[in-house]
Amino acid sequence: MRQSDSPVVEKALDPQWAWAAYDPDEQRPWNLARAGHLYRRAAFGAIWRQLQQALDDGPQRTVDKLLRPQADVGAFNELHDEQETASGGSIDGLRAWWLRRMIQTPHPLLEKMTLFWHSHFAVNGAEVKETRLMRTHVQLLRAHALESFRTLLDGVSRDPAMLIWLGGDANRKARPNDCLVRPLMDAFTVGPDRYTQEDVREAARAFTGWFVLRGGLRYIPREHDAGVKCILGQRGNFASQDVIRILLEQRATAETVVRKLYRGLISESQEPAGELIAPLVESFAKNYDISSVVETMLRSNLFFSPIAYRQRVKSPVEYALGIVRALGGMVSTTQLAQDLAQLGQILYAPPTVKGWSGGRHWINSVTLIRRHNLAFDLLRGDGPYADKLNPLRAAADHGHSEPASVAQFVLELFLQGDLESEESDTLRPTTLAADSSGGLDVAVRRFAHAVITLPEFHLA
Amino acid sequence: MYRTNVSRVCVCSKPLVRLLFLYAVVAPISAGAQALPPATQWLPADALITLELSSPAPLLELLTGQPMTDAVTALPLYKEQASNPEFVEFVNIVKYLEMTLDTDWRTGLRKLTGGGITLAIYPEDTVVLIVDVEDELMLLRLHETLLMFASSEAKKDGRSDPVVARPHPDVTVWTFDGQEAHTIIGKRFILSNRLEGLNAVLEHRAANGGATLASNARFQAARRAAPKDAIATFLVNLKPLMKLPDLAQVLDGSRENPLAALAFSGLFEAVRDADWLSAGLSVEQNTLTLRASVDGVAVDPASSVGFSRPKAAGGGAFPNLPVPRRIAALSFYRDLHQFYAAKDELFPERTSGLIFFENMMGIFFSGRDLTNEVLAEAQPEIRFVAAAQKFDPDKGTPRVKLPAFAMVLRLREAERFREVVEEAWQKLVGLVNFTRGQQALQGLTIDRFFQGQTKFTMAYFSTSEIEDKTALEMRFNLRPALAMPGEYVIISSTDDLARDLIDVLDREGQRPVKPLAKTDSLVEIEGRQLATILQANRETLIAGDMVEKGNTREQSEAEIGMLLTLVEFVDNVKLSLGSRGSLSQALLSLKLRLP
Repeated sequence: MRQSDSPVVEKALDPQWAWAAYDPDEQRPWNLARAGHLYRRAAFGAIWRQLQQALDDGPQRTVDKLLRPQADVGAFNELHDEQETASGGSIDGLRAWWLRRMIQTPHPLLEKMTLFWHSHFAVNGAEVKETRLMRTHVQLLRAHALESFRTLLDGVSRDPAMLIWLGGDANRKARPNDCLVRPLMDAFTVGPDRYTQEDVREAARAFTGWFVLRGGLRYIPREHDAGVKCILGQRGNFASQDVIRILLEQRATAETVVRKLYRGLISESQEPAGELIAPLVESFAKNYDISSVVETMLRSNLFFSPIAYRQRVKSPVEYALGIVRALGGMVSTTQLAQDLAQLGQILYAPPTVKGWSGGRHWINSVTLIRRHNLAFDLLRGDGPYADKLNPLRAAADHGHSEPASVAQFVLELFLQGDLESEESDTLRPTTLAADSSGGLDVAVRRFAHAVITLPEFHLA
Repeated sequence: MYRTNVSRVCVCSKPLVRLLFLYAVVAPISAGAQALPPATQWLPADALITLELSSPAPLLELLTGQPMTDAVTALPLYKEQASNPEFVEFVNIVKYLEMTLDTDWRTGLRKLTGGGITLAIYPEDTVVLIVDVEDELMLLRLHETLLMFASSEAKKDGRSDPVVARPHPDVTVWTFDGQEAHTIIGKRFILSNRLEGLNAVLEHRAANGGATLASNARFQAARRAAPKDAIATFLVNLKPLMKLPDLAQVLDGSRENPLAALAFSGLFEAVRDADWLSAGLSVEQNTLTLRASVDGVAVDPASSVGFSRPKAAGGGAFPNLPVPRRIAALSFYRDLHQFYAAKDELFPERTSGLIFFENMMGIFFSGRDLTNEVLAEAQPEIRFVAAAQKFDPDKGTPRVKLPAFAMVLRLREAERFREVVEEAWQKLVGLVNFTRGQQALQGLTIDRFFQGQTKFTMAYFSTSEIEDKTALEMRFNLRPALAMPGEYVIISSTDDLARDLIDVLDREGQRPVKPLAKTDSLVEIEGRQLATILQANRETLIAGDMVEKGNTREQSEAEIGMLLTLVEFVDNVKLSLGSRGSLSQALLSLKLRLP
């Protein structure tokens, strides 16, 4: 699918067409490429069986399954919560267990959205220090990741981890603390230039009385400023929940979140026009139902158009898990968490209050080499990841044993046929047959490494 | 030439014919065979590491005897594995070999190794193994069977026959995979992972290969140092190994890490200067004992690195303290004053870090000079203990259960210095509380109790406001305590261990113990208590293993189960380090727990 060779690009500017449900036709068939695209955005990649099932199910049924999986997600998460807790009290353990959960979850969209909110409501565990609070913070994000943004925002504004990270853990009447309120307005809701310094000061007064003491949230009524405040044009004896209500009443809040979801699910290569996202903003502002706006995006014509196709740079987590998931394996996530840190993504430790910048910022001359090295380590069959991932074994599981057939399988599994012509010359299936040094197993590992270090595989 | 013909027939003919032929040709050869020289006379002199197992019988008796067999087969893990298809296949192969060789596996193993085993490792990853058997015919039959296995397995998989026999001037050299090479000469089986390795042995056998290992002076010196009653000797040529960057880095670690230098004092220096390392293994009932020594220059007690060498005759580390539920205990002879006084010489690159450390200690010890006014107050006697904890459900049980641990020092002038230590301790608790208080976190509550005549200080995190006390955070493993019975200072992670140590030291005071002469370090580990604490943290270990290795829960349960099983087999491990004359010595004993 190429952006330039499709008339769909122009149509995509029409909001009505853009957000209507995608219905495959001759020009826009439901194929392996689009199934792979859906699993890259709504999950962390797919194994071959899932891609084949998606082809049988069609796009809308596949989205149904991603949004509402039949498996008992609650039981899965409960078990993982227990194991996460049992592994001890370190933040490294939390990182390893979250990556494992992302790989194994029967509801990958939920984890994808939890990761999305982890960057939106960025909290750095190195500042919080208490592992328990960070575990609770991400559990909060997970519990509401596809539910109500209203509830999520309310929860986050009372989350001890968030308050400690932002320095908002003591809000005294005599000295209102704007450490929470400023990012609440600037990064989490209405966005920059849509509030004044006076709004910040007044909203900080509304949050007085809240403290984090001994790792728990406490409200001390005598420390609350009960006077009249004026916030974003509204006057009253406001408390913290009133600030949340007022912020959610602003259309700008809905627009901020929808734009961010657009970057996460549709495209980060260009900002959407206001009129294009207007229907979603209007709808989201009414009920702040995250699931609804995510569903509209994933089902849309726009999502399956060249405007969206491979228009995002994979984050390190997406890049690595795309390899692990595709091969249906499980690796040392303790080691993986360390390697992802080298690529610029440390879970439980987004760099700033605005989370990870993402996009082109993920790629530079250093991180690109480190991505190649990580891909090599994952596939080499020994070293830190041992022989947990084996592309030849994955091919054999699906009946491919001849070199050319194995190579074709690897290309379709990882790239779903997206290969520029000059690369296809060097990565023809016959290349594998010719590379016999070290046996077929080694040749397939080399071939797969060449495939997953292509530019296409770095794009989601 | 004669054997070459034999091999050609063997590889090509049917199994039965091959066996009959072997019987026919081997009998006269065996009858006429002469005694072979020691294996080391056939090995090249430049071996880096040599292992000689001259009398395998006692070791085999311990590892394959009835008590060990009973212990292994009684294990739940063994019973689980008994139905595993791979294990069943292995058992079937053993049974087949027993039938083919007309013996049981224990007798077979004894007869096939009875003459001794010699293993030598050479540069460029070349390994040579020489096994002298008691029963030559059994060896030939086993070899023949293995050749048949390899050929038939390859045939089954559609591969060409991997067994190749190459003629050598007077023997036949076989290979299974084109890389390893082996041959049989009388009662001797010789194997190398490279053809060059085997050729070198054959050259030395023919006396054309130059100096042999047996004639090497360094090898002879190392061998003389091995205990006379050893059933196995382990000899390492250290000089070439010292050139390995990884090893050199480890040995240099003592120059960069003061704690490593303190703990492994003298050991690194001895190895760094040594030509060889020699170790001898002896077996007595259920106990394996390894005595190792190196020929490095003896450390002068007065030198900068001599802080672990006793100054007076009969001096040394004291025996370990026998507290209840003990997991591990360490005892050191270390003159802390001498050590720290030489810090600039020992760690010239760590000056700024050590200055920071000294400044911190100045806060705790109210400006006293760390070297002369603090460390000089301690006798060169340091003992550590780790013991399993008993948790009171009313106070709470942590989810991850750590052992309690403690350090015991002896003061030179306890009456004068006791208050200084108490003050430093209370400052430390205060600092912890202040730092946690800055983060609005709970601090430690200080309390004082008596144990016998000894008043001691302890601090604890209160659990009175916690409703669910069954899975507390890790910090609730700590109830730090300071006790000073008599001349001693006990710094313990829990008050319970401090109480136990007060009692033990009280008994020691009534029946004084003598230091262990010529021993500067002593480490003991109790297998049963270690298994108990691992078992108590089984869930944590499994969870950690799952994410550490990418295992399924079942795989991790099996791995942790295996670890627990192995630990349960250990009754006690004891390691002591010291010196005898110019030799630095180590003694490691492993007592197994068998029914």
